[in-house]
Amino acid sequence: MKNLKWLWLLIMFVVCFSLQVSVADWLSIFEVSPDFVIIFIVAVAIKCGPAAGCFWGFAAGFAQDVYAPVEWLGAHSIAMTIVGFVVGQLNERFLTLNMPAKVGVLGLAYMICDGIYFGITGLSKEIVTNLFLTKSLPGCAYTMLIGSILFYLDVGKKKTHV
Amino acid sequence: MLRAFRFIVDLFSQRHGVVAFAFFLALGLLMRQAPNSVRQSVVSAALGSVFYPAQLAVSSLNAYRAVAEENVQLKEENARLRQETYHAREGLQELARLHTLVRFDDKWDYPIVTSRVVGHNPGRFLTTLVINRGNKHGVKEDMPVFSMNGLVGKITKASLTHSRVQLLVDPNLKLSVMERRTRVVGFLESMDGHTLTAMVPAHAGVVAGDTLVTSGLGGIFPKGIPVGTVKEVRKSDLDVMRQMDVEPFQEFSILEEVFVMEKEPDWEIKELLDEEP
Repeated sequence: MKNLKWLWLLIMFVVCFSLQVSVADWLSIFEVSPDFVIIFIVAVAIKCGPAAGCFWGFAAGFAQDVYAPVEWLGAHSIAMTIVGFVVGQLNERFLTLNMPAKVGVLGLAYMICDGIYFGITGLSKEIVTNLFLTKSLPGCAYTMLIGSILFYLDVGKKKTHV
Repeated sequence: MLRAFRFIVDLFSQRHGVVAFAFFLALGLLMRQAPNSVRQSVVSAALGSVFYPAQLAVSSLNAYRAVAEENVQLKEENARLRQETYHAREGLQELARLHTLVRFDDKWDYPIVTSRVVGHNPGRFLTTLVINRGNKHGVKEDMPVFSMNGLVGKITKASLTHSRVQLLVDPNLKLSVMERRTRVVGFLESMDGHTLTAMVPAHAGVVAGDTLVTSGLGGIFPKGIPVGTVKEVRKSDLDVMRQMDVEPFQEFSILEEVFVMEKEPDWEIKELLDEEP
């Protein structure tokens, strides 16, 4: 059963990446598109805990690092690992995550991820401010919107099973 | 095997995932600290062994789906008309492509390798593409890559069957450009991995709407490939230079097909570049 769960997560991981490199572009509004990968990481961390969050966070981050400038290798991996761990910890220790809380945590995870990434890559303050306002904030809102739909569908699915 | 896997999973799950967190964080930090050559090998190994085959499969599935859809559509039509329409459409596409290629060839006289984009960065900052042409097809490192609209970037890593394209928005790519009207030379770079910024001497009088092309300096890109238009001119920290936002002619996220110009860097300049530490 556990193995099946890992296989299922692997499939979802591939699906999310496929969505990110195809559907995300079609959904982009003013060059802002949702981040399916971070939705996946948050969902996994919430459902499976911090260890799985770390693992899939690292895997997703590394997949993004492969295509980023070589000098920034590791930046996405570190950011996503931290996000997976933090969200898993939040869910395990402090929060009973209902729908709005999940969406809030998703937004928080998005901002943490970008914050760490900007910090690691060493971009100047001016550039970071600009990227934060033009990319991170709108992207975060858009991702939260898409995330809320996906989380809602997931909750709905559970209810029908019960 | 399964036991070993379970043992690792159990080990990593201990203490609320702290072990896993420490391990992956250390791995990430190690990558950050590794020398550039090691990083390059890590990226190449990962790209060649996992990501390229996976993306090629996804890309091929997309191509298969497109063909299947087209097939269903065509079946609905009369056989003769279908054949004619198909030939006409193919012919028109071929003609348009040949027109473009001939224009480029006339200008620069280098062989062109047409290639399909099979993968790109899944993150929020698109800086790299993977194409399905490599050493086997004559593609080598530092060859210019362009589309029908303009310059796309250059080859940074060529494997046997695929290559990595460094896009103009990669912060590590700095490019010498020339403004077409005033003929003044400046340089273009992306500082944030998203927008393009050009630095041009202030006295040149470059204004918004002017066109930037490659200057031919640097030895990698030939002179005259369209790069983009000046969107906004700003005053830079240096009084003698003007900083300007540039809108590239090519939207990188929607690229499906690119051309690699089989032009190797001029040997004198390449020698100088190779001497750099």
